[in-house]
Amino acid sequence: MAAASDLTFALTEVAHRFELKTGNRVKLAFGSSGNFYAQIQNGATFDVFFSADLDYPRKLAASGLAVAPTLWVYGTGRIVLWVPADSPLNLGKMGMKALLDPSVQKIAIANPAHAPYGRAAKAALHNLKLYALVRDKLVLGENISQTAQFVASGNAQIGILALSLGVAPTMTDTGTYWEIPADSYPSIEQAAIIPTAATDKTLARAFLDYVRTPEAQAILREYGFQPPPETK
Amino acid sequence: MNWQALALSVKLAFVVSVVLFVIGMPIAYWIAYSRWRWKFLVESVVALPLVLPPTVLGFYLLVAMGPRSPLGRLWLRAFGHSLSFTFEGLVVASLIYSLPFTVQPFAAAFRSVDQQLAQASATLGVSRLLTFARVTVPLSYAGIITGLVLSFAHTLGEFGVVLMVGGNIPGVTRTVSIDIYDQVQSLNYVSANQTALLLLAVSFLTLSVVYAVNRKVWAL
Amino acid sequence: MTADVAGDVDSADKGSLSAHIQKRFPGGFELVAKLDALGGITVVFGRSGSGKTTVLNCVAGLLEPDAGRIQLGGRVLFDSERKVNVPVARRRVGYVFQNLALFPHLTAEQNITYGLSRLEASARRSRAQAMLEQFRIANVARRRPAQLSGGERQRVALARSLVIEPRVLLLDEPLAALDLPTQSQLIADLRSWNREHQIPILYVTHSQREAFALGERVVVLEEGKILAQGQPQEVLRAPRQETIAQLAGVENIFDARVMSLQETLGTMTCRLEDSAVHLEVPLAKIEAGATVRIAIHAGDILMAVERPRGLSARNLLAGRVLSLEQQGIAVHACVDCGVTFQVRLTPGARESLHLDVGREVWLVIKTYSCHLLEHEPQ
Repeated sequence: MAAASDLTFALTEVAHRFELKTGNRVKLAFGSSGNFYAQIQNGATFDVFFSADLDYPRKLAASGLAVAPTLWVYGTGRIVLWVPADSPLNLGKMGMKALLDPSVQKIAIANPAHAPYGRAAKAALHNLKLYALVRDKLVLGENISQTAQFVASGNAQIGILALSLGVAPTMTDTGTYWEIPADSYPSIEQAAIIPTAATDKTLARAFLDYVRTPEAQAILREYGFQPPPETK
Repeated sequence: MNWQALALSVKLAFVVSVVLFVIGMPIAYWIAYSRWRWKFLVESVVALPLVLPPTVLGFYLLVAMGPRSPLGRLWLRAFGHSLSFTFEGLVVASLIYSLPFTVQPFAAAFRSVDQQLAQASATLGVSRLLTFARVTVPLSYAGIITGLVLSFAHTLGEFGVVLMVGGNIPGVTRTVSIDIYDQVQSLNYVSANQTALLLLAVSFLTLSVVYAVNRKVWAL
Repeated sequence: MTADVAGDVDSADKGSLSAHIQKRFPGGFELVAKLDALGGITVVFGRSGSGKTTVLNCVAGLLEPDAGRIQLGGRVLFDSERKVNVPVARRRVGYVFQNLALFPHLTAEQNITYGLSRLEASARRSRAQAMLEQFRIANVARRRPAQLSGGERQRVALARSLVIEPRVLLLDEPLAALDLPTQSQLIADLRSWNREHQIPILYVTHSQREAFALGERVVVLEEGKILAQGQPQEVLRAPRQETIAQLAGVENIFDARVMSLQETLGTMTCRLEDSAVHLEVPLAKIEAGATVRIAIHAGDILMAVERPRGLSARNLLAGRVLSLEQQGIAVHACVDCGVTFQVRLTPGARESLHLDVGREVWLVIKTYSCHLLEHEPQ
């Protein structure tokens, strides 16, 4: 299964529970949605594609590379500001103003050209009238995980990450996050779909069904994904 | 067509080749002539970038450049900002990444020069260093040029390391290989193809010209 | 080893070379050589592997002896006890390597001026010009070594080493690849240069002919040890040792047993091998019944087609010509007198004597042409 990087922690646990429950082995590949999109276009045989947005799965369905009826928004992502534990910035007090602090030389965001969380970050910065002020300090991560790495290693002093990464245990131990106001960027609806080239569609459907269960949904929520809008 | 990215890549490759020439010569000299019994360790370290995945190298470089490592802190104190996400950072990363492509051809060329010529030079009263400059280097032009061209071409095409430590800043660290990748990621296949073909042509042209000149002029 | 700082004094090191060298190589080969060379040509003669090149390399400073002392005139180049080891570049040694080691990327003239960088341009040019003319290579000054003939390359190599006015000249088999006329010309050039400069010259060769042509003195080297030193005639023509005899190309070497001694006459009679041939050889301190080895140069044996009379020579042997072969400017004959002798004649002699295979002849051998070889420990 191919999944966007922001699902790294959430989906690993969901998959683990699925394995315990059904005895089926699941293999996960995490990376940028855009990458996986291109790979599926070129014949990659993932059984399920968990994108970080709605667009890529829609495009796949439209071009016949994925089974349209299986398209399903599994959750909504949120973006947060994140700083490492040793940062002098107090996000609780400063909020977005932290980005303008003189101690901030580099701000890491995911690449808006192709990463959904990057697009959201850019949109938020624009809407909050901060983009022009910070654009010279931006460094772009190839995907949300690399973005996190930039900040976690201290090379960027602050970053805009996915909430799902921000709440992950490894990240909560090493830094703090602050939720960026949800109305400053279009909601990040994240959808999954089964590609046409999937080798085991039955198992794929079974997995998606499991993700719909309250149990799995609880895990997703725990990891920062808001519940999907009520659809079938 | 991202001319800025192409210009940046060429600039990076050029700067790196020049610096590698300057630091590569003494390293290659030592490797060619030293008889220290632990020399093989140094040779292995120099050759490491040949076998190390660029992402591994990039990862360690990112850590080393960050404020948590002693080197990173030193740099921060000296210059006020980190080496990461800067052109200089790319240069440093590329120096390490392309080092064996310079040092190995240089050292091989020096070693292939007949040792008796150096002996003759010594009997004629010329010091070891001057012998190196007046005899060994002129007879090693082919190897030196090969080393320079290889490191130029290698740096031009570099991706993994730049991806890890560059931060994709237009005009600063967005090299042409990153740009092509971005275009692909954004599904702009036409644009990606154009840039890729241009890079291919530039690389091929550079190599052809040098190998053609190499053969004609330096054949002794 | 510290360098000898007082090194570059000009006149102090003009003079003879004295080299005591001891060097052991992994694999067992050991060189132990003590040689003295005055101004003029000293031939270092020996087989390949005998250590000749090692001697040159030690004198030049390219190899460091394990122990010993090398002194040139008043200047000590190497002394293992006092920890003196003058670096190569400061020894003022001229060295012509076996394969010349000319710089392939430089012209003949540039090769020659290579060692003169301490002079200013005009001095450099004039000295180089003088050398080019003296060795008759001025016309090829602008050519690279690849474009020169063997003889021209040799002369460039020689000129290059001599232009720096070395205090000693080392030559490693310099004439090996050249034809005879070129060889003689080069020897003449070398001689004429040395008439002015009178520096010691160590000339390494395994050719007997060169040794005779050049040598004022010969040093014979075998397996890292000096077997003999002296005039070529003494050392090579009258060899005391079998090795030297073999090296010197003595064609006739026989086992013999001493039959009787004639002390008042100064001779002794020996029976060759198991034959009936008896030779009278110079008297030696030895007892009747002892075995000896006798060496006779092929060129020292006279041949007659009639039995000669009234000769001073004590040895007159009857025999039959087994074979006749022209080799270059000499005729080699094998004659069976009960023992086979190698005899060298001129073609003229062969003609005038109408020599043929099968012809009955007489061999005449002077007592003093028979050299007794010392017994080698086996």
